[in-house]
Amino acid sequence: MSLFSVKHLSVNIGAGKPVDDVSFEIALGETFALLGESGCGKSMTALALMRLLPMAARIAGGSVEFGGRNLLALTEAEMRNVRGGGVGFIFQEPSTSLNPVMTIGRQIEEALFLHRGLAGLAARKRAKELLESVGMPDAERRLDAYPFQLSGGQKQRAMIAQALAADPKLLIADEPTTALDVTIQAQVLDLLKDLQRQRGMGLLLITHDLGVVERMADHVGVMYAGQLVEVASREQFFANPAHPYSRKLFAALPERTGRGKRLSTIPGTVPPLTAVHAGCRFAARCGAVMAHCHTIVPEWYAQPGGQQVRCHLFDPAASNAGRTPHGASAVVPEAVPDAESQRAANEKPLLQVRDLKIHFPIRKGLLQRTVGHVPAVDGISFELSAGRTLALVGESGCGKTTTGKAILQLIRPTSGSVKLGGTELIGLQGAGLQPLRAQAQMVFQDPFASLNPRMRVSEIIAEGMQALGLKEDAQRRIAELMEQVGLRADMAQRYPHEFSGGQRQRIAIARALAVRPKLLICDEPTSALDVSVQAQIVNLLRDLQRELGLAYLFITHNMAVVDYLADDVAVMLKGKIVEQGSADAIMNHPRHDYTKALLSAAFNRAD
Amino acid sequence: MLTYLLRRFLYAIPILIGVNLITFVLFFVVNTPDDMARMQLGVKHVTAEAIEKWKVERGYDKPLLWNAQASGTSKATDTIFFEKSLSMFVLDFGRADDGRDIMNEIKTRMVPSLAIALPVFVLGLWSAVTFALLLVFFRATWLDFTGVVLCVMMMSVSSLFYIIGGQWLISKLWHLVPISGLGAGLDATRFLILPVIISVIGGLGSSVRWYRTLFLEECNRDYVRTARAKGLSELAVLFRHVLKNAMIPILTGVVVVIPSLFLGSLLIESFFGIPGLGSYTIDAIAAQDFAVVRAMVFIGSVLYIVGLWLTDLSYTLVDPRIRLQ
Amino acid sequence: MKFVLLWSDALFFLLVAMCVFGAWRARRNPQLASAWRQVGTHRVGVAAATILLCFAAIAVLDSVHYRERLPGENGNVQYSVEVLSVLDGLMTKERTQLEKTYSAPLATQLFAKESRADGEGRDFPRLKYGGAQLADPALRDADVEKRALGGLVAGFVIWVALAFCVRRWLRPRAPWFAWNAFVFTLAAIAVVSGVIVALVPEYHVFGTDKVGQDVLYLSLKSVRTALLIGTLTTLSMLPAALFLGIVAGWRGGWVDDAIQYVYTVLNSIPGVLLIAAAVLMMQVVIDGHPAWFSTSAERADARLLSLCVIMGVTSWTGLCRLLRAETLKLRELEFVQAAQAFGVSGFNIMLRHILPNVMHIVMISLVMDFSGLVLAEAVLSYVGIGVDPTTISFGTMINAARMELAREPMVWWSLASAFSFMFVLVLAANLFADAVSEAFDPRGKRS
Repeated sequence: MSLFSVKHLSVNIGAGKPVDDVSFEIALGETFALLGESGCGKSMTALALMRLLPMAARIAGGSVEFGGRNLLALTEAEMRNVRGGGVGFIFQEPSTSLNPVMTIGRQIEEALFLHRGLAGLAARKRAKELLESVGMPDAERRLDAYPFQLSGGQKQRAMIAQALAADPKLLIADEPTTALDVTIQAQVLDLLKDLQRQRGMGLLLITHDLGVVERMADHVGVMYAGQLVEVASREQFFANPAHPYSRKLFAALPERTGRGKRLSTIPGTVPPLTAVHAGCRFAARCGAVMAHCHTIVPEWYAQPGGQQVRCHLFDPAASNAGRTPHGASAVVPEAVPDAESQRAANEKPLLQVRDLKIHFPIRKGLLQRTVGHVPAVDGISFELSAGRTLALVGESGCGKTTTGKAILQLIRPTSGSVKLGGTELIGLQGAGLQPLRAQAQMVFQDPFASLNPRMRVSEIIAEGMQALGLKEDAQRRIAELMEQVGLRADMAQRYPHEFSGGQRQRIAIARALAVRPKLLICDEPTSALDVSVQAQIVNLLRDLQRELGLAYLFITHNMAVVDYLADDVAVMLKGKIVEQGSADAIMNHPRHDYTKALLSAAFNRAD
Repeated sequence: MLTYLLRRFLYAIPILIGVNLITFVLFFVVNTPDDMARMQLGVKHVTAEAIEKWKVERGYDKPLLWNAQASGTSKATDTIFFEKSLSMFVLDFGRADDGRDIMNEIKTRMVPSLAIALPVFVLGLWSAVTFALLLVFFRATWLDFTGVVLCVMMMSVSSLFYIIGGQWLISKLWHLVPISGLGAGLDATRFLILPVIISVIGGLGSSVRWYRTLFLEECNRDYVRTARAKGLSELAVLFRHVLKNAMIPILTGVVVVIPSLFLGSLLIESFFGIPGLGSYTIDAIAAQDFAVVRAMVFIGSVLYIVGLWLTDLSYTLVDPRIRLQ
Repeated sequence: MKFVLLWSDALFFLLVAMCVFGAWRARRNPQLASAWRQVGTHRVGVAAATILLCFAAIAVLDSVHYRERLPGENGNVQYSVEVLSVLDGLMTKERTQLEKTYSAPLATQLFAKESRADGEGRDFPRLKYGGAQLADPALRDADVEKRALGGLVAGFVIWVALAFCVRRWLRPRAPWFAWNAFVFTLAAIAVVSGVIVALVPEYHVFGTDKVGQDVLYLSLKSVRTALLIGTLTTLSMLPAALFLGIVAGWRGGWVDDAIQYVYTVLNSIPGVLLIAAAVLMMQVVIDGHPAWFSTSAERADARLLSLCVIMGVTSWTGLCRLLRAETLKLRELEFVQAAQAFGVSGFNIMLRHILPNVMHIVMISLVMDFSGLVLAEAVLSYVGIGVDPTTISFGTMINAARMELAREPMVWWSLASAFSFMFVLVLAANLFADAVSEAFDPRGKRS
C-alpha cells in the first residue's frame, strides 16, 4: 500500500499550467526522485503537495492522498498538523531557509511543541538528540547558535533535524544539496539515506542532478515543463531511459560522454512556467518530433517492467512504434579528433604564475589598524601553455576565483609573479597594463550579472575594442564574433534581457574574444546553467579552442566538466594547490585525500 | 563589539565639529553681525551707533576668528568664533534677545515637549505596527486594498489640515477638551490628549504603508516558507517569525529620532500653545532671535548624533548577526 | 508688452524640455520604453498623470511672464513694474475685481455687517462684483443653478468630443495604454471646470479672502509655486547627489569617508532648523541688497529659488546615500569587472555602467519626494520660513486664513480651497509615484 499518492495534480498561474496532471506514488521506506531542469515545475509540485503555493498560483485539480486522507480536502487547521507533523520539508537554500534571528534550538523546539507538545527542558533534550542524530558536531552548544554561525552543511543538517522533529512519515527534500559544496553534498545525501533507512520514511527527492538520483532513488519521475514525461524504477531508468528528453539529458552529461567526444546538446531552452502548451511540451526541442506531436498531448504508454512514458513514439497503435525511436540515434556522441593529438605540449608557457599570494587585511580596534591577514591565495604556482586547458578545481571559498581575478590584475596580488607571454604583470599600472589586457580576458560565472542591462549587445562587445584602441571595423568584427559564438549577427542590436542564460554566456564569450586574447579565464562559466545548456557552452568552448588556439584557465568545482575538458588539473584547498598534474593522472590516480573526496563525491565512486 | 561602539562614539566628534563650523559660517560669515543688526533694527532708519550698541549688547563686536588687539591666548579666545561657537560644546549658549539664559530656558521647556513627543512616538509606533500587521494578515483581500488606499489618502493630507481640522472639530464643535495651553500636573493630560491624537493620526498613513511593505518583503523570504512547512499557523508565523525580523529595520529606523523627541514638535506646540522647545524655536524664528536658533541647531544636531549612536547600539542588541561578530 | 524671464521660469521650462527630451530618449530605448509602457497600462497611474498634467498646464500658463506697456506720454516707452503671467492675463477680472473683505463662495453679499449708507442700522452690503448682475440677491440660487447646468452641459459636450477623438485616433495607435482611465479622468476634469468656468464671470466661486481677493485665483496661482518647489528642490541638488554618491561608492577609501562625512554632518542638523537658519540668513542677504532686484516679483522669485536650494541641501543626503549603496552593489557585479578587465577608465565605467543603472533610483526618488515637498512648503510657509509673503502659495493662503477659524460663523472657504487643491495635487502625485516606482523598481520585475 502506498503511503503517499498524487493523482492528476494541476496548478494554475493565470493561463499557464506550471504543474499539469502529475501523478505518482511513494511507499513507506521508498525514495521517489522528481528529476528535471530548473523551471520545469518540480518545486512548484512539492509546494502544491503541502498547499504552500505562492499567492499567484492555485491548485486547479487532482488529489493528494496521505495516510488515507485527501490533503487537498483538509481544512487549513488540519493541514497544519500534516505539515511538519506527517510530512517534513527540507528546502534548497539552508542559509535563507532558517530564521536568521532565532537560535537553531528554538526553531527545532518550535516544531516539537507544535506536533509533540514538548516544551522547556524536555524539548531541549529532544532537540539535542535530533541534532545528534543528524550528525551535528557538538550538538549541545549548537542549540544556542544562530544560523549565521554555522557552515552550509551544518545549516542543512539543522534543517533536517527540524523537519524530523515530529517523526514524519514522509520527507520532502527540495534540492537539498544543490547549494552545498561537492564533498558536503555527499555527506548530506548519505545522512538522508541513513535516516530514511532507520525511520522507514518515504522520501520525495527533488533534484536536477542525475548523480543524486542514481545514488538515492528507488523510483524516478522525469518532469518537463510541468508534466511528468517518464516514470520508472531506477534500474530501468538508468539502463534504458525511454523518453527522448531523458535520453538527451544523459547524453548532455560530460561524465557519460567521454573525453574528446562532442557533447550532445538539446537545442533551445526550457519554456517558461507561464507558457500555454498545445501538444507535447518537448516537441519544440525533440530530435524525434513528429507532426502530431505539436498538436496532440501524448498519453501514458506502459513499457515492459512497469516503465511509463508519455511520448507518441511509444504509442503501440502508431506505425513507427519501437523501443529505440528514430531520434535516439542522434544521441550517440559523435567522435571528434582528440584535441591533444593535434598539439603537442607547447614548449614555452603562455602564463606562468609563481608563488602568487593574495592576502586580505583584517582590521580591528579603534583605529581600524591592520592586525593580520587572511591568506585568500597562499603561494600558488602553475603554468599554462597556448592551446591547452588548465582546470583550477576547488570548492567555494578556496581562492580559485580570487586567483583568476588576480591574474588579470582586477585584484592586486600581495606578492609573487604572474608572467603573461614572458612579461611580468605584477607592478604594472594603468597604461602599461593595456597591451596585456588584450591578451588575457575573462568569462564570468553569472550570465545575468555579467552583461550591463542598459547596453546593446553590440555596445557590450565593442567596449573592449574601444578601450584597448583596436583599429578595426567594429561592425564587421561584431558580426563575425556573433556568428563565431553561434548567434545571429542581427541580434547584436538587442539588449541582454532578451536573451536566455545560455545565449548571454555566448555573448560574454564574444565580448572576451573581441580583443583577440590568447588566454581566456573561465570562472565557472557553466555552473549557473541547466545541464542541456551547459553542454552547448562546453562544446562552444572546445570548438573555439581548436579554432583559435586559445589557452583556458578553467575555474570550476564541477569534476565532470574538468574530466571532459581539461588537459591539466590543479586542485585548490584553502588557498593552496594540493595536487597538480595531467588530467588523466589526477582523474585516474588521485593522490591527495581531498582530490579523492572530490572525485568520489562527483562520480559516486567508492574510495 | 565594545570597541565598535566606542569607535562609533568617537566618530561623533568630527561630526559635531563639522556642525559647529557650518553654523558658524551660516550665522557669522554669510552675514556679518552688521547685517543682522540692520535686519533686526529695521533696514531703513538705522544709525551706525544703534548697530554698534546692538552688537555690544550681544557680544558680536569682536573679530571673527583672530583678535589681533588682544594679548596672549585671548588673541584666539576673545573672538566671536571662540565665544559664540566653541562655547556651545560646553552647552553655553549665551542669552536670548529677551535677556534670559538660553540653556535654562531649554531645560525648563524640555519637559512639556517630551510630554507630547514621547506618547506620540510610542503610540504612533504601536498603532502603525498593529495596523500594518493587520493589513499583512489580510493581504491581497479587499481589507488590505482599502487599507492601502486609505493610507495613501492620509499621506496626501497636509499635517496643517490635521491640526486645524482636529482642533476645530474636537475643541470647538464638540467642546471636549481645551483648545490650547497646558495645565499643571495631572490636569496636563486634558490638554495633551488632543495634540497627541492628532500627531499620531497625522503620521499614521505613511508609516503604516511603509511597515506593510517591510512586512510583505519579509513574508516572501525562504524562512517564512520553512515556518509554514513546519505547520505554524499564519498568525504564529506573522508574530514569531516575520515581526521579529521586520522589527530590526523598523526599530533601528526609529531609534534615531528618540533623542530628538526632546525638541518637541514645531507645529503642534505652536498651535496648541504648549510652552515646549518647539514653540520656543518657532517664536525665535519669528522674532529673528539668532542666538536661540543657533543654539537649537546645535542641540538638535547633538541629539541626532546621539540617536545615530543609539541606532548602532540597538543593532547590536536586536540583531544577533551583529552582536556576535 | 515686454516678456520677462524669471529664473524660476527658465528652470521650469528647462525641466519641461528635459521631460520632452527624456520622453524622446525613452522611445528609442526599449527598456525605458517598456517601463513607461507599464506606467501607461497602470489605470490609477494614468488617471493621476492626467490630473498632474492639468496642474502642470496651469503652472506653464503661470510661468510665462511679461510687463505691460503703460500708456506713456510723448513717445517714451514705459512698462509697468508689475510682472504678470499669462494666467494673470486670462484672469484679469478675478485679479483686479477686489471686494472689500471676506465673502462666502458664490455669495452676493459681504460676510460682515456694515453700517448702511442710509445710516439705518447695519446690514450685509452687496458685493461690488460677485453676483452684481442680479437685481435681487434672492434670485441667486436660480441663476447659479442655470449657469452651473449650462457649464455642466458644455463640459460634457467638450468631453464627448475629446473622448471621440481619443477613440478614433489615439487608441488604435497605442492599444496597451489605459485610455479608459484617461478618458474618465478627463470627464471629471471637463465637468468640474465647465461648471466653474460658467460661474466665474459673475461670481466668486470659492469666495474672497480678507482683502477681497478671489480665492479661486489664489488657489490656481499656488499651483505653480507648489510644482516649482516639488520639482526644483530635488533637481537643484541632483547633480551633486549623483556625482558624490557614485564617486563615493566607486572610489571607496578616503574619498568615500570624506563624502560620507559631509552628508552625515548635513544630515545631523535637523532639517527644519537648518532651513530656518538658512532662510533667515537668506532673508538678510536679500534685504541687504535691494539693488539686485528690479521688481518685487524678481525678489520673491529669488527667495523661492533659494528656498528650493536650501530644501535641496537638506534632502539630497538621502538620495546620495541610496546612490552610494547601489554603486557599491554594482561595483561588485561582473559586468563592471569585465569592463575593468578591458582597462576601461574609472570615469567611463561610472558614466557607461554605473550611471545608467542607478537612474531608476533617481527617477523614483524624484517622483516620491515631490508630494512630500509640496506638503513641506505649506508647513514652512506657515511657520514663516517658506516662500516670500508676497508669493501666492498654499502655505501663505493657509497662514492668512487660519486665524479666521475662530470667527463666528466661520470663514472656512480659503482653508478648504487650499487644502482641497493641495490634497488633489498630492494624492495624484502619490499615486503616480507608486505607478512609476512599481514600473522602474527592478526588484518587482526580476523573476
